[in-house]
Amino acid sequence: MTKKIAFWIFLLGTIASAVVFLAATWDTHKQVATLSNVDKLSDRVVAGKRAFEKYNCNDCHTILGFGAYYGPDLTRVVQRIGEDGVRFRIKDPEKAFAKSFRKMPDLRVADTEIADMVAFFKWVGEVNNNDWPPQDSKKRLSRGEQAMVATVGVSPGAAVFQAKGCMNCHALRGTGGTFAPALDTVGRRKTLKEIEQYVRDPKSVNPKAQMPPQKELSDRELEEVAKFLSSL
Amino acid sequence: MEYRSQKIAYWYFAAALPLFALQILLGLYLAYSYTFTVPQSIVNVFPFATARAMHTNLLVLWMLLGFMGGTYYIVPEETKSEIYSEKLAYFQLIALLATGVAALVGFLFGWTQGRPLLEIPRPLDLVVVVGALIFLFNVAITMIKANRWTAIQGTLLGGLVFLALLYLFGIPFYKNEVIDWYYWWWVIHLWVEGAWELVSAAIFAFVLMKLTGVERQVVEKWLYVEIGLFLFTGIAGTGHHYYWIGAPRYWLWIGGIFSALEPLPILLMLIDTMMHVKERKTPIVNRLTWTYAVGCAIYHMIGAGVWGFLHTLPQINYYTHGSQVTVSHGHLAFFGAYALLNLMTFYYAMPRIKGIEVYDDTRGKYGFWIMCVAMMLMGLFFGVAGVIQSYVERVLGMGFMTAQSYMRLWMGSVFFVGLTFLAGVLLTVTDLLTLRPAKVRA
Repeated sequence: MTKKIAFWIFLLGTIASAVVFLAATWDTHKQVATLSNVDKLSDRVVAGKRAFEKYNCNDCHTILGFGAYYGPDLTRVVQRIGEDGVRFRIKDPEKAFAKSFRKMPDLRVADTEIADMVAFFKWVGEVNNNDWPPQDSKKRLSRGEQAMVATVGVSPGAAVFQAKGCMNCHALRGTGGTFAPALDTVGRRKTLKEIEQYVRDPKSVNPKAQMPPQKELSDRELEEVAKFLSSL
Repeated sequence: MEYRSQKIAYWYFAAALPLFALQILLGLYLAYSYTFTVPQSIVNVFPFATARAMHTNLLVLWMLLGFMGGTYYIVPEETKSEIYSEKLAYFQLIALLATGVAALVGFLFGWTQGRPLLEIPRPLDLVVVVGALIFLFNVAITMIKANRWTAIQGTLLGGLVFLALLYLFGIPFYKNEVIDWYYWWWVIHLWVEGAWELVSAAIFAFVLMKLTGVERQVVEKWLYVEIGLFLFTGIAGTGHHYYWIGAPRYWLWIGGIFSALEPLPILLMLIDTMMHVKERKTPIVNRLTWTYAVGCAIYHMIGAGVWGFLHTLPQINYYTHGSQVTVSHGHLAFFGAYALLNLMTFYYAMPRIKGIEVYDDTRGKYGFWIMCVAMMLMGLFFGVAGVIQSYVERVLGMGFMTAQSYMRLWMGSVFFVGLTFLAGVLLTVTDLLTLRPAKVRA
């Protein structure tokens, strides 16, 4: 190989890679509006991003997986701990992390800034990012549920029913709690869709319902438990 | 030293070295914070975030000073002429240092752009840009006036221009977080896996050529192939940062394929270093400089090549993204590819500027080995912590702090090995700043 050939390897390699990269960049710009729900990118969300940067949050936390690794990832923080949970932790970290071996600084963030940040986190949480991070994925059963399915041989829905403590209130064939109705024949009374709706938000079906809405169930868990109950 | 203006380099190196030591000191505070509880009252005034901003910005600052010093050393010899303006070079050094100090003090008072690694506030960014323009002007004019172009000069200048241009993408405020990260990586990734690789490949080729006496034609031929592969894999390889940010799905393919090839140029660099050393045409004087060159090539391969490859595939990265695995890779790669390269340049150039033909390398040797072994251990401990985190937090879904409690032992180990690393750094920094001739053996 001569130096001239080496030079051409350099030139063509660089140009080829740059062409691929720039073409994909152009296309990404076209698609990003849909992927990141730009229609929901309000002034409030932008203000939240500014506050997030003002307090240098990103040098302890990651968001979309980037930043520092000292605190938990914030991509789906609203889905994970709720808006109130976010507000409480920013407002009064000393109280929120009193028992933790790791502290969060009290940066005296104004209430309006906290509200803006919540809007920002909510928007980020809805970005279509190939379902990252895995711990907040809506597609998964918890590890305990997976173990029950694999080793005890129960259906995924039965595993969810067991693991999420439904039997603290409800009973099946006389086993379980008496606080709420037994579910032995629930499948004959309600369809799969109706069960899903009820479990997610009982008050939307029966305003007097006392059952708490099961917000922490992943989509997969909800689907499986509804499938299980509708088969009864 | 053949040219008077090469002395400029000495002051850039001398300024970089204490910053390197300070960087490590802050790193120790970070490792301490991971392991032990820092009381709320201290966290409120000196949060982890501030220390981290200082740790990373010090890294960038001392390494850029090293690259610039390296450039001022190489360009006169390559162009066979003096640097266009020594005054501008010193002015630019003072401006850069002043900006750096202003930024670091600013961080303490919460003056920040608030984006990781790009924390320098926007008004100071403008000073950085002006400084960079002065630097590029000074170097480019020197080369153009001399008109003795070589591949080393071209690569160096190209890399520096590319480096400066990319910095611009880090300055604007982006409303959309997805776009923000998209262009953030144009600075971060395209710096370390693009522009910085060009600059350091040029510096490395120069030092290797001078050390081993291998012909320019051979060295520069390898240089072309290496930078060609660096850019071929590195540019589109930026895609491995776009897997989980809300960019289209095809980035999993582009990023996965191109970055799987990224170890190739580094491997090539290792092979040709070994070959040149083996086929050397000059005797080995100042063994430590040679040790640094070979050590840099090997460590570059391990830290950037192997460690990077390990978690660059989307199927693995889904679980390791944003965990201590990244930290492990970051530390080994920066140390191997850039810290050792800069220190090699310092050990090559500083004795020559001082007119020391054979320097006493007793302290320096200890410094080198302590740093290399301690950093390898740190990388492994970060790695163990990262694997625990990926499994407990991401696979088992057991919650962030639960995972952190299992990782504490390993982060604590990082802290204690970090103390050793600091000792190695202090030894090296002192040695470089007080180089003395070797005693003649009777």
